[in-house]
Amino acid sequence: MCGSSPNVGRPASRFRQKGLQFAVALILGALTAGGFLPGCRRANVAASDQVLRLSQRNEPGDLDPATAGLPDDFFIIRALSEGLLLPASKGAPQPAAAERFTVSGDGLTYTFQLRPEAKWSNGDPVVAADFISSYRRVLDPATAAPKADLFFPVKSARAFATGALRDFSQVGFSSPSAHTLVIQLEQPTPRFPDLVATGPWIPVHPATVAKFGRDWTRPGNHVGNGPFTLVEWRPQQRIVVRRNSRYHRVNAIRLEEIQFLRFDSGDTEERAYRAGQVDVTMSVPATKLTGYERGRPAEFHRTPLAETHYLAFNTTRGPLNDPRVRRALALAIDRDVIVERLLQGGQLPATRMLPPVLRGASDVGRRPQEFRHDPAEAARLLAAAGFPAGRGFPKLEVTAWSPSQSRVLEAVQEMWRRSLGIEAGILVHELKVHLDTLHTGNYDIGFVATLLDWPDGLALLSAFASESPENFPHWQNAAFDRALTAARAHGDRPSQERDTLAAELLLIEDAPVSPVYFNARNWLMSPRVRGWQDDPLWTRFYHDVYLETK
Amino acid sequence: MFRFITTRFLQSLFALFLVISATFFMVRFVPGGPFTAEKAVTPEILRNLEAHYGLDKPLYRQYLDYLGSLLHADLGPSFKYPNRTVNEIIADKVPVSAELGGISLGIALVIGISLGTLAAVKRNTWIDYVASSFGMIGISIPTFVVGPLLVLVFAIYLGWFNASGWYMPADRVLPAVVLGIAYAAPISRLTRGGMLEVLHQDFIRTARAKGASEFRVVTRHALRGGLLPVVSYLGPAVAGILTGSFVIETIFQIPGIGREFVNSAFNRDYTLVLGTVILYAVLIMGLNLVVDVVQAWLNPKVRLEA
Repeated sequence: MCGSSPNVGRPASRFRQKGLQFAVALILGALTAGGFLPGCRRANVAASDQVLRLSQRNEPGDLDPATAGLPDDFFIIRALSEGLLLPASKGAPQPAAAERFTVSGDGLTYTFQLRPEAKWSNGDPVVAADFISSYRRVLDPATAAPKADLFFPVKSARAFATGALRDFSQVGFSSPSAHTLVIQLEQPTPRFPDLVATGPWIPVHPATVAKFGRDWTRPGNHVGNGPFTLVEWRPQQRIVVRRNSRYHRVNAIRLEEIQFLRFDSGDTEERAYRAGQVDVTMSVPATKLTGYERGRPAEFHRTPLAETHYLAFNTTRGPLNDPRVRRALALAIDRDVIVERLLQGGQLPATRMLPPVLRGASDVGRRPQEFRHDPAEAARLLAAAGFPAGRGFPKLEVTAWSPSQSRVLEAVQEMWRRSLGIEAGILVHELKVHLDTLHTGNYDIGFVATLLDWPDGLALLSAFASESPENFPHWQNAAFDRALTAARAHGDRPSQERDTLAAELLLIEDAPVSPVYFNARNWLMSPRVRGWQDDPLWTRFYHDVYLETK
Repeated sequence: MFRFITTRFLQSLFALFLVISATFFMVRFVPGGPFTAEKAVTPEILRNLEAHYGLDKPLYRQYLDYLGSLLHADLGPSFKYPNRTVNEIIADKVPVSAELGGISLGIALVIGISLGTLAAVKRNTWIDYVASSFGMIGISIPTFVVGPLLVLVFAIYLGWFNASGWYMPADRVLPAVVLGIAYAAPISRLTRGGMLEVLHQDFIRTARAKGASEFRVVTRHALRGGLLPVVSYLGPAVAGILTGSFVIETIFQIPGIGREFVNSAFNRDYTLVLGTVILYAVLIMGLNLVVDVVQAWLNPKVRLEA
């Protein structure tokens, strides 16, 4: 086949040989790969049956409770360490690192009793000084903790965090004994236990942080006081935690290991679920919602979230500075159509700002000021504001951050056109650009989702206080600010809830925002997984989870 | 030749400096910053964060500091992943993308060059039509369609592979095939075109007249000239394939540099954006230089003009 002359023939045959070798190597490679085939479907299963594989949508920036920001980061942090209290999927927070706590009569002093038997994963006893040292770290301006404000009800905590106070001993933390932690508050805070149960209140092991600096969260260095310990962290791939034999309730933990598998996209995650590679997903792709809901109801799950998706009206711009215009826009939206025909994912129409889980026991039910669908009243209000049948109304832009929101906004656009005779444009920005325009007020109408750190209606409404960094409508209302201050001043929960509802009413009446729907999360879980619990704020509870073995 | 390479190298260095400077300032002027989050932080906490990361200094100062640390090959700490440096992230991710890219490139070259050569030699026969159709289909159907399709068949229905992940050797097969096919398609078309042009030239007729076998004519004489268009295509293509494919890495959940590149921009992770841009720029410039040298070697005309 090769040329007759050996001199000329050699390079050609070498070329061919190399090509041949490469082809053979490729085929061999494929065959070797084939050799892995029978077992490879169970790639992520370890020897034990009690290995739970969870989908992790966002790579944690860090596993440090002081600097972590997203609920997703705390999926892992909560497996590794626990705070004084643990949020409960329903009801009041439960004891965790603290065995019990008492509140003084004036509501200003909380005394937490730690478990004497509790140990860190390296064997050190868990003592009150560890908590104080962790809290100091969160409040220290040099740590730059993004959620330090969750400590601000504690006496002098805000002053220390802003650098106004240098002496930490004046901040309201003290430990009269190794296992007693006393916290002094600025003013009575009836929901304080819920704050203590939030992620940033989870302690760190001070000696480990001091020794390794920013590397303390790496496997091998990490020390925690939670039910699991960190054994592997392959960035953008997976994080593996294994049962901590030193955990105080280790006998109650049935899971041997949890693997947090990273998935960027909901579609990739769903395919991995179908291939049996993951037990619990974060979501269900919108196009497959009804398919799973009807076809595999045993695996399809739905959690209502404490999350309101709303339209923020930029109240600094005309004609949106007129409350009648804002109310007209809000009343022209048919929320039932959006929820039932468009979203179809268990969301609820939002005629007010507070989602059902945040309303408290004293909720009065539906009030006349709420945003029911009333095109006639909407048209009347718009006419009263000087735009009869929408004549002379400028074209406004509605901004959002994800193309998936366009269909909701297109529906709203059409409802405004039909009921009010006005035109609106839709503008989809990248998320950070969107947030930046909201902050700077460089927009007309923005689509926004609330995000809460703890289940508190007052915290949700506080976003709209005049000075709040999340006051995206740039709305100034002295009566509303006073109502919030009054609600915060109450030492008892029922009065606080009552005043919170009153503040919500002021917000609805003046309509700087138009709530659209209360969000829900749809997700898939293998029928093998038992005892799973989560809550409307994305907290997960691993203590009672186990896998059913055949 | 030496002068040619030196000049090109110095030009590349200057271009790299421009790329770094432009990226540094452009990324700062994009609305939103690393700490812009859905849950807004209070102004006092924002000040703490900016002081912590040195963002409170004047911009020119930050720029000079950055250039200074670049001279020590230090790409700085990541904003999004505070316990990792950009150097670490790149060192961690590039091998993954390079491995995937290397396998895919092998597949692409073997399939692309053989199909393209076959198509040119058997011009206007069914072989040509099959090979050309493969080229057209491969170029037209995007990887985000081919990928999920292969996953559906081989992972979900047949259960031969994992649907995603990067844990064991078998996990390389599906993504490498998808990426390989995507690059094989243009390579086969370029090879066919290049070969057709060369096969009509006088020196090929001379070789045939001298009695060289058809195989020898094709592999020894024609291929060298016929691959010229492929070589110029390969420069940027290799840079692209080695620095990772965002789409493939997302579909198959591969921890490569392509995802970091795109996500760093979304996260406004300034240092990581710059780090990945520098990496990409160096690779593109380096490989283009290599391509020029290889072309000079393959084509005496280029060498003489230089």
